[in-house]
Amino acid sequence: MDHTLPKVTGTIDGHEFEVCHGTTLLEAAKTLGIKIPTLCHHPGLPPDGNCRLCLVETGDKLLASCAFPIRASGGVYLTHSPLVFEARAFVLKLLLSRAPNNKELLKLAEEYGAQADPRLSDDPDGCLRCARCVRACQAAGSQAIALIGRGRGRKVAGPFFEPPLDCVGCLACARSCPTGLIACGEEPRVIWGRQFDLVKCPQCGRTVGTPEELKRAGITSWLCPDCRRREYSQALKNLPEASFVRN
Amino acid sequence: MFLKDHRELEALRSGLMTGPAPTRRLWVCGGPGCLASGAAQIQAALASEIKKQGLNSQIDFRADLTGCLGLCEKGPLVGVEPEGFLLEKVSLADCQELVSKTLGQGRPIERLLSGHQPIKNHPFYQPQIRQITRRFGQINPESLLDYLKTGGYQALGLALSALSPDQVCQMVERSGLRGRGGGGFPAGRKWSSCRLAPGTVKYVLANGDEGDPGAFMNRSLMEGDPLAIIEGMTLGAYAVGANKGFIYVRHEYPLSVERLNRAIEAAEKMGLLGKGILGSSFSFNLEIVLGGGAFVCGESTALMASIEGREGQPRVKYVRSTQRGLWEAPTLLQNVETWANVPLIVEHGHEWFKSQGTSANPGTKVFCLVGQVKRSGLVEMPLGTTIGSLVFEVGGGSPPGRSFKAVQIGGPSGGCLPESALDLPLDFDNLSSAGAIMGSGGLIVMDNLSCMVDVARYFTGFLMGESCGKCSPCREGLTLIYRILEGLCQGQGRPGDTLELKKLASLLSKTALCGLGQSAANPLLSTLRYFEEEYLEHENERFCRSGRCQGLFWPKIDPDLCSGCGLCQEACPAKVIFGEKKQARQIDLANCLSCGACLAVCPFGAAQAVRQDS
Ligand SMILES: Cc1cc2nc3c(=O)[nH]c(=O)nc-3n(C[C@H](O)[C@H](O)[C@H](O)COP(=O)(O)O)c2cc1C
Ligand code: SF4
Ligand code: FES
Repeated sequence: MDHTLPKVTGTIDGHEFEVCHGTTLLEAAKTLGIKIPTLCHHPGLPPDGNCRLCLVETGDKLLASCAFPIRASGGVYLTHSPLVFEARAFVLKLLLSRAPNNKELLKLAEEYGAQADPRLSDDPDGCLRCARCVRACQAAGSQAIALIGRGRGRKVAGPFFEPPLDCVGCLACARSCPTGLIACGEEPRVIWGRQFDLVKCPQCGRTVGTPEELKRAGITSWLCPDCRRREYSQALKNLPEASFVRN
Repeated sequence: MFLKDHRELEALRSGLMTGPAPTRRLWVCGGPGCLASGAAQIQAALASEIKKQGLNSQIDFRADLTGCLGLCEKGPLVGVEPEGFLLEKVSLADCQELVSKTLGQGRPIERLLSGHQPIKNHPFYQPQIRQITRRFGQINPESLLDYLKTGGYQALGLALSALSPDQVCQMVERSGLRGRGGGGFPAGRKWSSCRLAPGTVKYVLANGDEGDPGAFMNRSLMEGDPLAIIEGMTLGAYAVGANKGFIYVRHEYPLSVERLNRAIEAAEKMGLLGKGILGSSFSFNLEIVLGGGAFVCGESTALMASIEGREGQPRVKYVRSTQRGLWEAPTLLQNVETWANVPLIVEHGHEWFKSQGTSANPGTKVFCLVGQVKRSGLVEMPLGTTIGSLVFEVGGGSPPGRSFKAVQIGGPSGGCLPESALDLPLDFDNLSSAGAIMGSGGLIVMDNLSCMVDVARYFTGFLMGESCGKCSPCREGLTLIYRILEGLCQGQGRPGDTLELKKLASLLSKTALCGLGQSAANPLLSTLRYFEEEYLEHENERFCRSGRCQGLFWPKIDPDLCSGCGLCQEACPAKVIFGEKKQARQIDLANCLSCGACLAVCPFGAAQAVRQDS
């Protein structure tokens, strides 16, 4: 959080808050200890606002709190109004038809009294289309996978539904998936129908990553982070005293 | 010729004004009636005749530009502009004379002259106010000289020589112009916001995506008067401080792209685009970008993503694009028709502009009137005209034997308004409070044979196919709504479906991420609001009063109305209609498919839909 930014204030469920300009509504609620359910949100990824579970009422409108930056004071936000409750039940009912066995979803569905509609029971592939995997891949520096297709046919895949050539095997997608749906293996490293070599730390023998992954990150040394740190501090120790004098 | 300043522009224009009138042009009506009577052959014959006689003229084949004047029985129709002659029942034998005498010398062929002379007095045109469409078919749209001759670039000359960017902005703001691409957002507010936004790089964009199925008002503008859009954008760029613009054109419109490109080239050659326009320090370049081919690409954030080379998909929009738009720079996006209004405002002043339309909705709007009306096509009327006058005065009302039921306004995410709305003024505010939207101005007239549940199913199906699938309410929710509607139309409705639809529709509008999903329930919501009884009949009685949903009605012939013409007998695919010549027909229901073919052809309204159990 940048503390030089001006502050904005408002109320959430009647409680006053004060946060830095541009803080998301979701974070502001968190400062008050108010919990808003989320699915597509991941604190380490840019918001996408696609699942619509985190909706919050203001005026007579609903906002995706994970993506809404508060830029003006005086907002009155309701996170648990009847409209919010109804909207979340609607979203859960729809997502449940896609992932009927997802534990987190089932728990939320119970809380909100949502039930899957049998008319949407075809193709329950378990995927929420939250795009966390796609965003994680982008955030890590690749664009190996994407959501392909339109409407209800939208699916996560590599180009032309083939093993993605741009994949470096970092597993960022699998680790960020809230449903654990992306099949992968740590060692041997397999994902998206591809197998990758693994780089072992020449000192301790630990797995550092795939060669493609290290190359993407611009890392040339194949030491693991711990051994690299140790080597660095050793080097510092051997430097002459004068190098540490500040001027 | 390169125009060095405003004075040279005006000198050129006054030279042109003393010359001959704009190039004479022929058009051939390409409506279904005229096509059936051989319009395509006439068009080809005229074109080869023009070549043979060494004339330099193209023929507009108005397959859908003029739509249909309702004079089908007099087809093929040929029009002559700018004289405005209308010739009827033109045959191949007339073509040589038509080209030499009429096109060459401007003299009509008396024996072919229709009763409607000049054509602007025809009831289809007479009530119209043609401002935006004034040059359509009257000039060669690729000729910059024709454009100048008809007052083009007067506004830009004035602005660059006598008005500050701020003054141009103020004029648009005071004119009250509202966006013609759907929402009706005040243009001036966007202009000022973009003008004041910090940043040295800014963009102006034109939305020519026109994704509404069957709509062609933006296409006819890009094809009929491309320079008006270009001049408008140049004025906009000057006003907000942009040096680069893009016109986003639907890729299914190759002729629009070609004409816009030619027009841009011509303007560049004359120094009306490019560096230091008309000797000023203002530079502006324009480029065409081809649309991604999806309805959602017309949505502003998706459109910008598409221009940037990314997938045309909407983004959560909590920052205005006039602050942060294309490549994060302040961006002014307007529909092509909005842009075409700008030169008019700058040239004639905001007071003049406000003399048409209503105080909150000034100016005119181009509508596309289609469906069950006698006359159809492109119509320009002042905003605030009643729906009734459009449907009945211009359109001539429902075809014989049918009665008006509803008008669907605003494209696929528009709404259906009933007979009681005929007195409603067509403007942004009245339409949205009635549950429809202006959209880009499409009007589909429906009659007693249109089933409102089926109409909702159709539009929901279209939008379902166009949903980008990013957010869950639209991706999954539209499918659920569609399946329920489909069930109702197939007689598989379940108790409570109508109520469920109401709930789903209202939730979808409130929860979807972008305008597509938020407005996707409009067809459903509006038909539920005005025609709920039709839903309940489908749900509870498996009855479709419109005779549209197969299996949910029996056709019945009213012997008092039946003239015995036998049209239904011919149309019936099951051959179950019988009766003597000039006698009322009867139907053998035991073998009837309940397809409604007889209802559709009966010109007397004698074939009607009744409940199957009655
Ligand atoms: C799903 C969707 C489709 C749209 N399609 C179009 C379109 O085809 N043409 C258009 O001008 N505006 C379209 N719009 C509206 C644009 O987002 C935008 O508001 C408009 O281009 C702004 O210009 P205006 O203010 O001059 O109307 C669409 C909006 C949505 C939500
Ligand atoms: S509302 Fe529909 S079109 Fe818009 S983002 Fe959501 S899924 Fe895509
Ligand atoms: S968590 Fe905010 S929209 Fe998904």
